[in-house]
Amino acid sequence: ERRSSSLQHKSAPFSCAAGQKQNSSRENWSLSPEEYETWDRLYRIKEGDGIKEPVLPQTRFATLENLEEIPGQGAARQLSLCEWSLWQSRPFPTALVGHSEPCHHFIRVMEMMEQMRQQQGDCSYGQQLQPHLRLEDVNIPRKKRRLHTANS
Amino acid sequence: PPWSLQRLKAAVHYTVGCLCQEVEEDKDVQFSKQSIAAISEITFRQCGTAWVTSGYLGHAKRSTINTEDVKLLARRSSSLLKYITQKSDELASSNMEQKEKK
Repeated sequence: ERRSSSLQHKSAPFSCAAGQKQNSSRENWSLSPEEYETWDRLYRIKEGDGIKEPVLPQTRFATLENLEEIPGQGAARQLSLCEWSLWQSRPFPTALVGHSEPCHHFIRVMEMMEQMRQQQGDCSYGQQLQPHLRLEDVNIPRKKRRLHTANS
Repeated sequence: PPWSLQRLKAAVHYTVGCLCQEVEEDKDVQFSKQSIAAISEITFRQCGTAWVTSGYLGHAKRSTINTEDVKLLARRSSSLLKYITQKSDELASSNMEQKEKK
C-alpha cells in the first residue's frame, strides 16, 4: 500500500518540504504546487481510502444555551477523548513537552475513579471527609441540604 | 486546625452532593456516591489549577483579581463566556444600586 508505507517514512509532514529548493518558494502562506502535489498524493484523505475524515468533538454545554454551531458529521470520524479511559490512570510517555499540572490532576482523578470502580453503596471518599465537614462552610438552603451525605 | 485541605474538600463534597441532587431531580437520573465523589475531587483540583491555566499568573501585573480575570477563565467557549459575562454585568449593576442606596 503506497499510503501506509509512505506515511511511516514521512511521519513528520514538513520534513520533506524542509529542503532548500522549497524554502526559496516559501513566501506564501499556502502550499506551493509541489507541496500541494505531495500533500495530495501522501496525506490527503480521499473518498476511495476507506477511512473517515478525523474531526475533534465540539464544545457543548448541557446546562447552557449553546452558541457554537455543531456541524453535521455524517462521514467523519469523531476523535474520542474517553474511549481509552482505562489507559489514563498513569502518565503517558512524553517527547519534548512534559505533562502539565492540570494533566497530572487528570491522571490522579482517573486513578481515584479506577479505585472506586469496584465499590458498591458506601463511598470511602465521603466517609473520610465527613468528620471534617463544618456546616458553616457550606452555603446551601437548609431544605436542600443533603441528609444522606451527613450520615454516610 | 481552623482550615485544612480536608475541611475544604468536605465542604466542596457536601456542596457538590447538593448540586447533584438538583440535577437528579431535574434530569431524572441518579448519581452514585462514587460519581459524586469523583465530581467533588475534580472540582477541588480544578480550583487549584484554574488560575494557572488561565495565564493569569504570568500576564497580569495587578495583585487584585477582578471580574475580567474571571471572564478569561471562560474564554474557550463563547456560550460559557456569554453566561459569565451576563452574570458579571448583573453583579456590577446590583453593586451600583447598592451604592446608590447608601
